[in-house]
Amino acid sequence: MAGRLGLILSRFAIIIAIFALWEFLSRTGLVNPRLLPSASDTLSTLGDLLQRASVRNDLMVTATEVAVAFAIAVPFGCLIGYLIAEYRYFADVVKPLLFFAFSIPKSIFLPMFILVFGVGFAEKVGFGFFSTIFIVIMSTTTAVESVRVEYLTVARSYGATPSQTAFRVYLPSMLPVLLEALRISMIFNLTGVMLAEMYASRDGIGHQIATWGENFQMKQLLAGVVMIAAIAILFNELIRSVETRCSHWRT
Amino acid sequence: MQSLANITPLKPAARAGSIQINGVGQVFRTTGADVVALADVSMDIKPGRFVVLVGPSGCGKSTLLMMLAGLRQPTSGSILINGAPIGEPDPNRVGVVFQEASLFPWLTAEENVEFPLALRGVPKAERRGKAEEMLKLVGLEGFGKRHPHELSGGMKQRVSIARGLVQDPPVLLMDEPFAALDEQTRMTMGDELLRIWAATGKTVVFVTHSLTEAVYLADEVAVMSARPGRIVDHLQVQLARPRTYEMLSGDAFGTLRERIWRHIRKSA
Repeated sequence: MAGRLGLILSRFAIIIAIFALWEFLSRTGLVNPRLLPSASDTLSTLGDLLQRASVRNDLMVTATEVAVAFAIAVPFGCLIGYLIAEYRYFADVVKPLLFFAFSIPKSIFLPMFILVFGVGFAEKVGFGFFSTIFIVIMSTTTAVESVRVEYLTVARSYGATPSQTAFRVYLPSMLPVLLEALRISMIFNLTGVMLAEMYASRDGIGHQIATWGENFQMKQLLAGVVMIAAIAILFNELIRSVETRCSHWRT
Repeated sequence: MQSLANITPLKPAARAGSIQINGVGQVFRTTGADVVALADVSMDIKPGRFVVLVGPSGCGKSTLLMMLAGLRQPTSGSILINGAPIGEPDPNRVGVVFQEASLFPWLTAEENVEFPLALRGVPKAERRGKAEEMLKLVGLEGFGKRHPHELSGGMKQRVSIARGLVQDPPVLLMDEPFAALDEQTRMTMGDELLRIWAATGKTVVFVTHSLTEAVYLADEVAVMSARPGRIVDHLQVQLARPRTYEMLSGDAFGTLRERIWRHIRKSA
């Protein structure tokens, strides 16, 4: 247990060191403080920003967009991914096309989303969905394919119905891969929504961050970066903590 | 359902456990020519017998076992268990123990054993009691809360046997259950299996590659030839029970083992 504690302390020390270096560079003027406000200033700005109703409102807007885009992309992507994994012919037809689509940087389609949906909620959710769906499809296919044939044979030999096989064998067996897929999909989803907000939007935290940047408000800009980073890390770690509990049956 | 309520696995089963295999064949249809995996296999297995199927790789012994389990349909001939044809997998008549790693890693040992009962909606308390009883039978009392990755290879296969027996089927099918185990564990598991078999009185059909294992365990050994698989010899093992390690070096044992080897060498 001491070893594990040591690891955690070392990580913590590295984070502290990064903040300390940041503080040092800015305070001593080695880096122009107008370009890099100190860590302490940034954190106190972050505290102020979180008090502001407008910022909270922006956060809510962004959170809603992210949640909606995710809630549509995940079930939809899972369904397509499942169909691809289960139906050979469908897979043979669609799989290469998916790889084509996956390889294209999604950002180049953003102007089209703006033209089609206009600037607003639908555009951002649409682009978030579009950024996420391909990775969900591909990871679900991997997840379904990770289920060992032996498990399915066991279920059949004990007379499992199709729905029992789905919920008692497929789902738990896929869980570790599926959780990882969720985690990575969220990264794509957040990136998509942020990009849409920064490129063309009237509200949302991404739009705020872009505005602060354009106005050379470095403290606010950095505070926004820290805020989004913290939220993303939190979500990722939340899923990862569940993931480690079922990692021992990962294939 | 009613049969689940009064399972008494520790008494010799008075229930039927007969198997009739009548002219069974299996043809795999491939894009090229059809492959005959099994040709005209017939066997009559009396209740409570320990029958071992041996043969070279690809002789269709596992295929035959899958057909006995109802997991695959014969392309010709018929299979009767308890005097009735086996169409779909029927856990009330047949329990199956698979090759290594067929336990669900997300379930504990006892949950794995309970799995067949859970599928039929047996209440939790009853399931748990049954699982404990089975784990005790296979010598794993107190290990119910462990997950498969916390168990050794031999222990995992004990759990598999407990799962195969939990619904008290008269027939237990075993597909190379000890193939992945080291030699010592394999010998121990053989003895354990014979003890469990003696305690439950099941009909056992056991597939293996190992000639020593075959002779050591069996009442009768069916020797199969390579593709197309057919039974080339059916020998009775008259060695006394309980079997002991000393028998392995005896003349009777050696003669039987050699007789099987001659068949296998010829067809390999």
